[in-house]
Amino acid sequence: MIREETARAVLAEAQKSGADYAELFLEDNESTRIEMIDGKVESANYARICGAGVRVLLGTKSAYAYGADTSERALLEIARAAAAALGEAKAAPGGEVSLPLTRFTTPVRRPFDTIGNAERVEVMRTGARVMKQTSGEVTQALVRYLDQVQRVTIVSTDGVFVTDERPRTRIFLQAVAMNGSEAQTGYSGPGCCRGFEAYEDVIDVEQHAKIAADMAVTMLHAPECPAGNLPVVIDGGFGGVIFHEACGHSLEATAVGRNNSVFCGKLNTKIAADCVTAVDDGTLPGEWGSINVDDEGGTPQRNVLIENGILKGYLIDKLGSRRMNLPSTGSSRRQGYLFAPTSRMTNTFISPGSDDDEEMISGMAEGLYAKKMGGGSVNPPTGEFNFSVAEGYWVKNGKIVSPVRGATLIGKGSEILLKIDRVGKNMWMAPGMCGSLSGSVPTNVGQPRIRVSGMTIGGKGGAIE
Amino acid sequence: MTYRDFSKQAMAYAASIGCSACELYFASGESFEVNANGGEIDRYSVSRDAGVSVRVSIDGHEGYAYTERIDEPEKLVDHAADNARCIESEDEHPMQTRQSYRSVTHVDSALKGLSETERIALAKRMEEVCLAADPRVRRVVYCAAEYGAGSVIMENSLGLLAERSSDTSAIYVMPSVQEGDEVQTGFAFRMGKEAADADGCAKESVAEALGKLGAKPVASGCYRVLLRPFAVCDLLAAFASMFSADEAQKGCSLLAGKEGRQIASELVTLWDDPFDEVAPRAFDGEGTPCVKKAVIDRGELKTLLHNLKTAKKAGAQTTGNASRRSAAATVGVAPTVFRIQPGEKAYETLLCELGDGLVITDLEGLHAGVDAVSGDFSLKAAGFLVQGGEIVRPVSNITVAGNFVTMMKDVTAVGNDFRFGLPQGGFFGSPSMLVSGLTVAGN
Repeated sequence: MIREETARAVLAEAQKSGADYAELFLEDNESTRIEMIDGKVESANYARICGAGVRVLLGTKSAYAYGADTSERALLEIARAAAAALGEAKAAPGGEVSLPLTRFTTPVRRPFDTIGNAERVEVMRTGARVMKQTSGEVTQALVRYLDQVQRVTIVSTDGVFVTDERPRTRIFLQAVAMNGSEAQTGYSGPGCCRGFEAYEDVIDVEQHAKIAADMAVTMLHAPECPAGNLPVVIDGGFGGVIFHEACGHSLEATAVGRNNSVFCGKLNTKIAADCVTAVDDGTLPGEWGSINVDDEGGTPQRNVLIENGILKGYLIDKLGSRRMNLPSTGSSRRQGYLFAPTSRMTNTFISPGSDDDEEMISGMAEGLYAKKMGGGSVNPPTGEFNFSVAEGYWVKNGKIVSPVRGATLIGKGSEILLKIDRVGKNMWMAPGMCGSLSGSVPTNVGQPRIRVSGMTIGGKGGAIE
Repeated sequence: MTYRDFSKQAMAYAASIGCSACELYFASGESFEVNANGGEIDRYSVSRDAGVSVRVSIDGHEGYAYTERIDEPEKLVDHAADNARCIESEDEHPMQTRQSYRSVTHVDSALKGLSETERIALAKRMEEVCLAADPRVRRVVYCAAEYGAGSVIMENSLGLLAERSSDTSAIYVMPSVQEGDEVQTGFAFRMGKEAADADGCAKESVAEALGKLGAKPVASGCYRVLLRPFAVCDLLAAFASMFSADEAQKGCSLLAGKEGRQIASELVTLWDDPFDEVAPRAFDGEGTPCVKKAVIDRGELKTLLHNLKTAKKAGAQTTGNASRRSAAATVGVAPTVFRIQPGEKAYETLLCELGDGLVITDLEGLHAGVDAVSGDFSLKAAGFLVQGGEIVRPVSNITVAGNFVTMMKDVTAVGNDFRFGLPQGGFFGSPSMLVSGLTVAGN
């Protein structure tokens, strides 16, 4: 914990070239990663990442300096480096700010530093066993385990002085099914922002192991997906990655504030079908993408992005707020001290609608049912996105006729949002890691089952009869 | 505490608690990055950092721990020892002993000798050149200059001592251009000793963006495809793990056991060349002297890539391909500089040979749309439609799908237009390649 006096000195040093805002971010992040192959622990690694970063702003100019040494002398040096980027030293802006300390913690019943490797390995072994037991075609079961506590302190000239403790854990289960020369993989990777009690309370490892194994085996027997432009039903949970890529990134101040987004100047106009309401909510207790405080010391909130098809808000950090002349939305995030913070998503989802899950498929002449999505990416200036379908099924005359592998979906965010013609009733979320300017941060994506009336489906298969 | 003291105490403590071997990997460095926007510095970042990883061996099992706080070496060794004790795999991972290394000349990268002001000027210059290049340039999405320098010291209780330092420079720019309602973006970069070429980089990026105006999909179907160098580099990077003996031993590579077999067209020779001037190095991630070798020689798979662990398991020699993605990461296997040998044919000649088909310049979604286990890929792509050996119009919003292994067999011509792609965890380079058939989804 840094002393208030030291923090003040660092901020004062950072403002010496005239910055109108300075912020110090200290991080101490301990993590344990274990990898298991076919039920045997293959590697185990502990890492402690510690360092500090100082950011200064002058209007919309910004500079960031960081280092691993957090001694007072080193912090002052970092502050000087950040200040130097803005120009020559001049009189610092007057006025001492008061810095009352606020401490945030995440309620944890079983902290990771009280858990031995044996207990971690036991959880992993369950996953490996269930994957292998599910089918004889599962030739390899891979389990990766992560737990992590990120402790941060944020001090700024806005009078912010907060500490936060962010425990997270994730288990990634991957099954490989093989016959002859063909191999397909299936996976599931639940995670949350809790202590080790997560494996008793919220994460059912056996269930996720079975999902991974079933997916690998199903895909092993699936023909290649045909290509074309057809309706697509996208299931809930990780299916929400479509909104994350097609729209979420283009609503971040990083894109909007620089006029690099197709959604610039579209507030209070219709950008999506009437059935679409979308939210980014960092306040949901224990969720993978949740934060107690954002990485500028701001308060996370429930941000309604789209309401009944109308654009209602963006995701805005401090710098974005200055560029866009809109208040920040508690959306400033970063991987750690190696990155200056910027506007990012937390738990982002399409809200439940009123359509029937079964009808979406039974009312479709021909198309794709994407049960599980893989990852994707987007180019915000054009809004063009792509993502892969990890588990897909071909639908004909309202019935699922075959699983299909190797499908990709592409399109433009602004077009796809208007083509959503069904939104189901049950919303759920799934975790992912989202990479952008401020590094890789944990985010949840989510949605109920939805249908898009037409999308470009990529694949190399022929027609499915 | 100095690193010297830290390392001495760590080694002594490891021996005292029964570790049969102990290794330290110390990495330190500095970095500089600037992005210009509207003639101003928009994003600027400088850093100085250091971290140390300890690896211990206990009863033939090894454990790792890493810290950026250079104090309390005993605590770090305890973490590593705990981790070693939970290992169940029977695969031995020996540590390297004292070696002698060939001397490697590293040419300073372009930004090394430049002052901070000059580096900032490069970023601003790219923006200016882009905006002045054509009235259709609407703005510059980003234009950045980056410099990094780092050094590594590896030492262990078996006598290994290896040190190196290197530096990297890169500039890159993405302009967006507009005509009517249509917006397109272009991208270009320069790295290493060419990283001060702001004008060339900016002009290339604008030409690329303008070339895409008017792009639309083509009809779905099977096309003959000419892959430009960056597209091949992206695929090579995405499927590099297929060549890893580690993946092969885990049952995750289709190339397992294929050494000595024809796996690609005779036109394909793939080098793993640690001495290439783009990023020369004398030793790998566990201190083994590096060697240059053909991984594919005229279509024949000569070897998979090994570290000491995979070599021991396979009863083979390490190929000097031990990797550490970062100081905090465990030892894995990765290519050094992976490059496909260029052929004789100019790009224009390849266009004629293509006749009717597609030129693919860009692939997107490589972190999601590829399956390195099966070799399958299905990716968003952009490029040009070619008829009768002539470019007809730009193409976008299509996907191309295929299988990497099959595609390497279907190479029918290799160009002389070799380029390195933007580094992505390693260096990948290739000329253009003509392949006989990929499936395209369009309209």
